[in-house]
Amino acid sequence: MNVLVLFGAILFILMTIIGGKKGARSFIALFFNFGVLIFILFFMTNPDFNPIIITVIACALISCINLFFINDINSKTKTAFLSTIITTVVLLLMIVMVTDKAMIQGFGEEEIEELGVFSLFIGVDFVKIAASVIIVSTIGAIADAAMAISSPMQEMYTHHPSISRKDLFAFGISIGKDILGTSTNTLFFAFFGSYLALLIWFKDLSYSLGEIINSKIFSSEMITIFFAGIGVTMVIPITAWISAYFFVKSRDKAIKG
Amino acid sequence: MHTLIERINKKQIIIYIILAFCFFISLVFVYHNESFYKNPIAEVVKTKLVDSSEMVDTNENKDHLYTQEIEAEIKNGDEKGKLIHLTNEYTKSGAYDQGYHVGNELFVYIDKATDNGEYVGTIKDLKRDQYLSIIGWAFIFILLIVGKKQGLFSIISLAVNAIILSYALDIYLNFAGSSLLVICSVSVILFTVISLLLVNGFNEKTYAAIIATLLGTFVSLLIAYLVMWVTKEQGLRYEEIQFITRPYKMVFMAGLFIGSLGAVMDVAITLSSSIFGLYEKDNDISIQVLKKSGLEIGKDIMGTMTNILFFVYISGTIPMLILYLKNASSLGFTLNMNLSLELARALAGGIGIVITIPIALYTTIFFVKRKKARL
Repeated sequence: MNVLVLFGAILFILMTIIGGKKGARSFIALFFNFGVLIFILFFMTNPDFNPIIITVIACALISCINLFFINDINSKTKTAFLSTIITTVVLLLMIVMVTDKAMIQGFGEEEIEELGVFSLFIGVDFVKIAASVIIVSTIGAIADAAMAISSPMQEMYTHHPSISRKDLFAFGISIGKDILGTSTNTLFFAFFGSYLALLIWFKDLSYSLGEIINSKIFSSEMITIFFAGIGVTMVIPITAWISAYFFVKSRDKAIKG
Repeated sequence: MHTLIERINKKQIIIYIILAFCFFISLVFVYHNESFYKNPIAEVVKTKLVDSSEMVDTNENKDHLYTQEIEAEIKNGDEKGKLIHLTNEYTKSGAYDQGYHVGNELFVYIDKATDNGEYVGTIKDLKRDQYLSIIGWAFIFILLIVGKKQGLFSIISLAVNAIILSYALDIYLNFAGSSLLVICSVSVILFTVISLLLVNGFNEKTYAAIIATLLGTFVSLLIAYLVMWVTKEQGLRYEEIQFITRPYKMVFMAGLFIGSLGAVMDVAITLSSSIFGLYEKDNDISIQVLKKSGLEIGKDIMGTMTNILFFVYISGTIPMLILYLKNASSLGFTLNMNLSLELARALAGGIGIVITIPIALYTTIFFVKRKKARL
């Protein structure tokens, strides 16, 4: 039997046993997300489309799946969705500037040997694709953090309907600080795990520190880690502010109406 | 009260001043550190586009090919201050090349001297350390401004864990016969203990989370091994694993092990702090209720956590997938060749996350029960 099929089957069984219906939905969400990846590939191979715009659309789709499909459409997930999109767009602007300057797009000299059979003159914009790769790697974590903040803020608001906007914002920030350590950890280790082979490679071929730092591969991976950290941090004040704004606004409307 | 606030502010101000100072020193350093490099470095002072042509490859992909002539000033070594002439060919898509602009610093090879005391050379690569340190500082500042103390702990945790990893790899590479799996197991224990203590401090929540994380990681590793053994690793394309100088299966398993660790820790600490939180709010709460709420929280986080891992692993392959597709490979072949290892990692990580939910639940309840018994 195929490794992937067996892994998938075990994951599905575990998710349904432990998570019930919601677990099954989470498993299906993985397939939908895979579908979004195919969507990204389909449009990015066409040079007429701007990879940045495709990325923003893909991020919106992914957030819809992770927030609205796994959970429900309600005020929590709506504010989380809005926060995720705003964070993504702000982050994307920063990333595009950096990928352009640092020239970390495409493939490094370490990879190029095995790509000899391929034509590299394929007309797509690898700089923008590099920016898109960084955003897509972090989108799951950003959506997760947004949800983790907006959900307890909603709870707080339900239990204390008279809370001021400023206090609600402060509450959101304090929740955000609590999850900051764990969400950055999740990302750091995921990146460490996938870069392990590369680290061993650098050490085995005794690269000097200067060579490692300036190589395209290493610097692009470090920049990815840094932006991942920046992304899950930036989403905290953005979500706290948006949630505080909309929850309190809905109350003011109710009072006036 | 008033003086306390003042004191905290003073302390903070001092910390920020020290940070700003480090920031400027390091920026000045990375922009003037050419003499620390052995390879010649040259700063671009003039570029001229000499040729531009459209080209179509065998798969009908259109691209633009450019040639630029570059004049650059050598910044280090014996030839410091001299001009060097370089030629750069690049494409519009930039898969393995790029156009340079005035101000870029390049690593170059000096090929020969010309008659007028200038040089001719070839470009090796761009100097990237200044960009890396700017982003690094942006990361540090944003984490500190938003996260304050927790932000600082995240940075420390990243740095300490990176050092442990690097040190562990040194041990693995320098002692023939040492097993990567044993070294990784020891590192995993260190990673878990240090990260969770930094995130959550010395308390029972943390201890419960540490035990749950270690159990969860090792159980999921066991499952992964069993699956690989039963299926004889069918469907895994090890030949596509990049940068490999060592037994690939070990490297893959170790990467899988470490990669899911952060997510497993996240699940463990989320469950243990919320269950302890419920217990501390109401000491008479029944174990049954705790179990039920713990399971609810577990259900809430399992989907998003597996998705986090999925995107971290999958996104890195996008450029390669595009390259395959644009070179007339079929979608099935492209995905099969490039994604098998990443998908296996994501799925195995997901198994680790889900299996940790009941483990963390029962470990925490065990700790709560012990605490109850002591009362």
